[in-house]
Formats: sequence, structure tokens, C-alpha cells
Amino acid sequence: MKVTVKILRYNPEKDKRPRYRTYHVEAEPTDRVLDVLEKIKGYQDGSLSFRRSCAHGICGSCAMRINGMNRLACKTLIKDLHSDKIVIEPLLGLPLMKDLIVDMKPFFEHYQSVKPYLINDEPPPLTERLQSPEERERFDDTTKCILCAACTTSCPSFWSNGQYVGPAAIVNAHRFIFDSRDRGAAERLRILSDQFGVYRCHTIFNCTLACPRDIQITKAIGEVKRAIATGSLD
Amino acid sequence: MALSKNAWLSGLRYKGGGTMITWLLHRIGGLAMVLFVGFHIYSAFLTQQFGSNVGVAINTIYESSYFQIVLYFFVIFHAINGLRIIILDLFPKLLEYQRELTWLEWIIIIPIYGLSVFITIMRLSANG
Repeated sequence: MKVTVKILRYNPEKDKRPRYRTYHVEAEPTDRVLDVLEKIKGYQDGSLSFRRSCAHGICGSCAMRINGMNRLACKTLIKDLHSDKIVIEPLLGLPLMKDLIVDMKPFFEHYQSVKPYLINDEPPPLTERLQSPEERERFDDTTKCILCAACTTSCPSFWSNGQYVGPAAIVNAHRFIFDSRDRGAAERLRILSDQFGVYRCHTIFNCTLACPRDIQITKAIGEVKRAIATGSLD
Repeated sequence: MALSKNAWLSGLRYKGGGTMITWLLHRIGGLAMVLFVGFHIYSAFLTQQFGSNVGVAINTIYESSYFQIVLYFFVIFHAINGLRIIILDLFPKLLEYQRELTWLEWIIIIPIYGLSVFITIMRLSANG
């Protein structure tokens, strides 16, 4: 099948503002959008810039807006778009560097601000820090995050104010807040109760719909909100 | 040099699904109510203090059935959607069923709004 691909291009050395450029590509319905981008870069326009790495939905490098919605290019099949016209644009809300590449620095600063690592100053036991399957299950969903930024850049609250920590940071805070081995929950909840913390979430659900790992992000944010309000992790 | 620009206009084209539409309608509903109350206060002030015809004109606009039919929708939607959000905030476990709750919200809104419009139209036709 022949697909028409419209890509929002931007070269900071030449362009004042981004502009669309259209390409026609021969592709199979089972090809991924990433394959189409590779074909364009390889055979039509080598100047096209986009991020990719593993191409298997694990590294989170190729998150972009495909037909108006954030998705991973490596996990999106052409046939699933139900159209032979594809519009590809960079993620919203982060500074645009070139073509489909955005500056991820603000995103990772928010991620780091919630201390996404195990905090436990207690003397280590002789064996592992044990945890029951039920305790592990409590935060299982939020361990799946690959930091692709699809959720944060789909959030209207983040678009309107980049100081909002965003769904991805809250998901990663949730992963440790509800970990029975961690002792930093109070500190993280204090950070997230800030004016740019969880209460900037207006239950819009764009993040949950955009997550390529199917994490129940709004539910995780709701659980963090509740933990802040009640002071309890139950 | 990275290009930073307001994502809002592009964001309006984002395909976020039904819940993004309810969020937008909730905001528009809030603004509609501010507009209504603003009209009411402004019109009363102008009419009572200065006997102004502008006050009477504003009064005519916000008391018109057409204006009120639009306003009913936003008030009813804002109230029911607000309740849905409060329930979801209080019981995060229900967030898994947000799609069903959004449908339930519309099932509640449509008959209430329909009844309000019906009564308004009946009153309008009775008054000729």
C-alpha cells in the first residue's frame, strides 16, 4: 500500500517555525511507523531527524505524536492507524530541537525531583530485604514505566505550565512510595504536595490513554493524592 | 537553539478521547457561569444605579431562552462532571472504571438537560 506521511519538520539553523513536509512511501500494513520513518530517512530525505534505539518498545526513545496522539513509533502498526494518511509531529510541551526531536532535559529534571530510587538507611539484613508477593503487587503496575514521556507530554496541565512534575514523575514516585522496603515515602509525598505536584492533575486521562505500557497512570496519581490527603499508604 | 512555544493551540488538536472533551467542557462551563453571573451583576448595577438602557439590554440577553438553554447545559454538565471527578478523587480504585463512569455521567446529564430544554421551550411557546 502507498501511504502519505506528513511530518512536522524544523531545522533550527534555517527555519523560524516548524513546517509540514509530505512524503509518499510504499509500506506494508504490518509495517511500523518507525519502519516508514526509516524508509523516508534512508531513501528520500536523509536530513530527517528522529530518536530511536531499541525499536522494540522498551527504550522509549521514539515517542512522538502520530495522527494526533502520543505513541511509540516502534509499536504502532500502519494498519492500526486505519488510514493511509499519517501525520507525525514531535511531542508537545517540551522545547523542539530538530524535526521530531525534543529536549528531554525538563522531563528528566522532574523525574529526578521525586527521588526515583530506593531510600532506606536501615542496616542491611544478612539476606535480601524480603517482600511478600502482595507487597510487591502493590506497585507492580508503576514498575513498567520506560520514561518515554508520552504521558507527560499528553497532559494539558503540563502544556500550560512546564513546572508541573507531570504524570511520569508521579508514576515513578508511586513505584517507591508504595514499596514496603522504601523509607522515603514521606519525603516524596511532601515534594508531590507542592503547588506543582499531584494537584495539577485534573483527571483528564490523556496520560493513561497515551501510555504504551498500559500503566493505569491516573489511578496511580489518584493513589498518591489520597496518600497525601490521608497520610496513610493503605 | 531549541524552540519553545506555547503548546496550547497544538494541544487543542490532540486526540485525547472522551475524557479530554469532558475536561474541556468543564472549563467552558465554568467560564459560561462566570459570564452569566457577571452579566447579572453588571446589568443590575447599570439598571439600578443609572437606569441605563445598556443594563436592560444585557438583562434581555441573559434572560433570553436561547441563552438559558445553552447555560443549562453547561451548569448541568459542570455539576455532574464535578461530582464524577470528586468521586474518582475520593475513591482512586474507581479510576479503573473511568470509561463506564463517563458513560454514566452522560446517561444522567442527557435526561436532566432534555427535561430543562423541554420545560423552557414549553414556557416559550406558552408565552407566544
